[in-house]
This record gives sequence, structure tokens and C-alpha cells, in this order.
Amino acid sequence: MNRHSWREVKRQLRESGPAGLVAIVLVMVASAWGGVLWSVRQWVQAELLARGRQTTVVAVARGQTEAATLSEAFQGRFPTLASVSLTPRKVQEELASWFPELSTLLLTLDERSFPSIVQVEVAPDQEEAVASFLRSRPEVTLVESSRGWQARLEQAVSRFFFAGFVLALTLLIGCCAVVLLVVRLLVLNHADEIAIMRLIGAHERDIRRPYLVCGSLLGAAGGVLGAGLLLALELVLRPTLPTLAIENWVLGALPPAGGLTAAVGAALGLASLPREP
Amino acid sequence: MIHLEGITKSYNSRPALRGVNAKVERGEFLYLSGPSGAGKSTFLRLLYRAELPDSGHIVVNGSDLPKMRRRDVADFRRRLGVIFQDFKLLRRRTVAENVTFVLSLLNLPEKDQQRRAYLVLKQMGLQHRMSAFPDELSGGEQQRVAIARALVLQPDLILADEPTGNLDPERSHELLELFKTINYQGTTVVVATHDRGLIEAHPARTLFLDRGSVVKDGWGSVS
Repeated sequence: MNRHSWREVKRQLRESGPAGLVAIVLVMVASAWGGVLWSVRQWVQAELLARGRQTTVVAVARGQTEAATLSEAFQGRFPTLASVSLTPRKVQEELASWFPELSTLLLTLDERSFPSIVQVEVAPDQEEAVASFLRSRPEVTLVESSRGWQARLEQAVSRFFFAGFVLALTLLIGCCAVVLLVVRLLVLNHADEIAIMRLIGAHERDIRRPYLVCGSLLGAAGGVLGAGLLLALELVLRPTLPTLAIENWVLGALPPAGGLTAAVGAALGLASLPREP
Repeated sequence: MIHLEGITKSYNSRPALRGVNAKVERGEFLYLSGPSGAGKSTFLRLLYRAELPDSGHIVVNGSDLPKMRRRDVADFRRRLGVIFQDFKLLRRRTVAENVTFVLSLLNLPEKDQQRRAYLVLKQMGLQHRMSAFPDELSGGEQQRVAIARALVLQPDLILADEPTGNLDPERSHELLELFKTINYQGTTVVVATHDRGLIEAHPARTLFLDRGSVVKDGWGSVS
């Protein structure tokens, strides 16, 4: 790239006007969305769906007496595992602390509206045996395991990511299409100039390179803004989700990814350039 | 320098050139003359490979044009200086940039580009208009920029298509004098013009074309 080519790139960036801005915004949205998708996926995998994490098995007892009997029976069967027995009052308080906006309502309810619960933290390989034991007990009305909840979450998350991936792909195609149109418009506007450049001895690469660079810069600018948007999003979400972190490589990858996507669009846009006889 | 043999060229079945044969030696000055539609521009477009003939052989500056690979065309054109009636200047670039553009294609150092552009524009009397844009120049000035651009690479061959078409008679004679000077320095010059007065004032070998055929190859204007 010589001085003439860089000046040409600058002119093209200026001439791309509102269409160029649309391309930048689209790449920004697409890259930020890609970053969100990746980071949330990593967070969900690490925080919610980790295979090795402790599983919680909860058994709802028919009453407080049954809960005490169940605890004793459980200790007899699994002496190494500690169980926690929660009284209806404790369950009521726990729920009120989880949902502070409903706490007033929850705390005014009769405590008998809440069940007695026996809760056990187990390693994933023990979960099946513990759940089977609890289900077989006559004191128990319902057994729920966080593993089952994890499996349902995993299914929901995979559906969400599939939809997200389709959206990202659509945005990606949209970015390519907009950059393609921008470059095609520029090429059409410069048709005479391109013909002159050829007549005075410019190689195809000398003619095409500034358009490719212009398209790539639009994409890279969108990628930089996308990375900025992602960072801002992380800052906003940090108080709520302190473990949700955007990895540096994700931020670093967005500008080149935007540039590359736009370069593909620009290359397709240049296909409209008529060739020499 | 130029060798054409049995050249035919048609546009939508309308013949523009019919079996043209011509030979131009290195260092020669040649006029292409004839009425409008005689095929002068097509003749020139074939010489700088903007067109390919339907049949026949063309060799220009040692290059067999119909057989030339597409990627070699740019390098071939850099050894030519082509001047057009409508100047074909790059409108969005200054006078200096129009001239340095061809130099930049050779990746010459920036300073060298500026120096060579200045020298050739000074030769054309345009050193004070280097930062002007083509639309700010008169027709004559634009034509001189186009000539400066064609000369800056010191080409082996200059092809000029009706270069005086947009100039007043005085400027036209000055331009022909300039071409003669360039020719004396050893550059082959081919000028397409329908201006007989100009040929009579600056006589040289003339190929007279009519309806796509060479009807006379002689010295000076053909009456």
C-alpha cells in the first residue's frame, strides 16, 4: 500500500457515507452479539453446567416428624454424607431471602403452607443412589435433584445457543451484504476512474486493494465498537453477575473478525468490477 | 515498434476495421487520419489493448497483443503513453497526484515521484497548478496534465487520440510541436486526428483510414 492507495482508502471511507455507517453499526452489533454468546456460554458451562460440581438432592417430607425420621434413616444408610433438615419456618425464611421483593408476602403466609425439607449435597456419582433411596422412603412426597434441573437447563441453553448462532449467522450475512453493497456502490461511482487507472497501467491488485482495505476497515471499526459495547455490557452486569467475565482474547478477536467478515463482503462486491478483454 | 497484419474488428456485426495492415518503425512519427467513423480510435484502442481484434496479428513494442495474458497488460501499458481527446484525468485527484499516480504504480520512492512529477509539469508550464484539481483547469491545461502523465514514465511509444480536439488552433500547434520534440528524442509517436490543417502544418507519414480500411499511406495530408 503506497501513499496513493491510502489516500484512495480515505476517500472511499468518506464517500461510503451513511451506507458505511450502517455497515459499521451492523458489524458492531454482530460482533458484540457473538462476544455475548461466547462469554455467556462459557459462564453457563463453568457456573451452572459443570459436570464435577456438587449436586443437591432435595426431598420434601410429609411433615416435621417424617423429616426427622428420614434424616435418621438417611444417616444410617449414608453415614459419610451430611444432610440438612429444614423446618417449614426455615424454608419460609430462605424463600423470603431469595425473593426479597416477595418477602413481605411470603413472611405473612402461614408457615404450614411450606414443606419440611431434607437437603443433601452429594458428589455427582452418588446422586443416583441417594435419590433412589429417598424416593423409596414412605416419608417422602417428592424428590428433586439439581442434576435434573441441570439437564433441563442444558437443553434450554443449547436451544438458546442454537437460536443465537442462527441470529449471529444472519447478522454475519447481513454485514457481508451491506459491505458488498457499499463497495459495489463505490465501484459504480468510480467506474470511469477505474477504467482510466487501467488504461494508464494500474494492475487489478492496485485497483482492488483500496476497496478491500476500505471494506475491511469498516468491518474492523465495527469490531472495535463491538468490543467496546461488550466491555460496557460487562461493566453493567458485573454487580449482578460478578463471575461473568469477557475474556481478553474475545475482545481482541472481534476487530479482526469484523474486518475479515467485511473483507469477504468487499471481495464479493468487487466481483461486479468488469474485467479487461 | 508496431506491426498490424490483417486486422479486422467489428462492433455488433458492424465492421470498424477491415483487414488493416500497417508497420511503424521505432522512432517514427505517424498520423492516423480520416473522417469520423473511419476507425482511427479503434485502431488506437487495439494498440493499447483496450480492444482485441476479431482476427489478425498485432505486435506493439515487442508484445503480441492478442496472445498477451491479462495480467501482463498493465505492465505493457506502463511502457506506453496514451493521450485521449477527453483527457481522462482522475477527477478526485490533484494535478500532481494524477502524474505521480503512474509513478506510484512502480513503487518509486515518494521523493523521486514528486521530483519527476515537478519536472514534467514544469516542462508543461503547470508547476504552479500542481495542487489544483482537473475541474479547476482549462481544457488546454487539462490536456497538458494528460500529456505530462503520459510522458512522466518516458515511454517508448506515445499514442494520442484526437489530442487537439478540445484545443484552440494556437494550443493545437504548440502541442504538435511538443510531440515533434518528443519524437526527435527517439520516442515513437502515433497521433490520430481528422485535422488536415494540422497535418499540413506539421507534415509526417500519414495513414489515411476510410470505412475501416487503410486507403493511403503517404507523407502529409491526403487530398
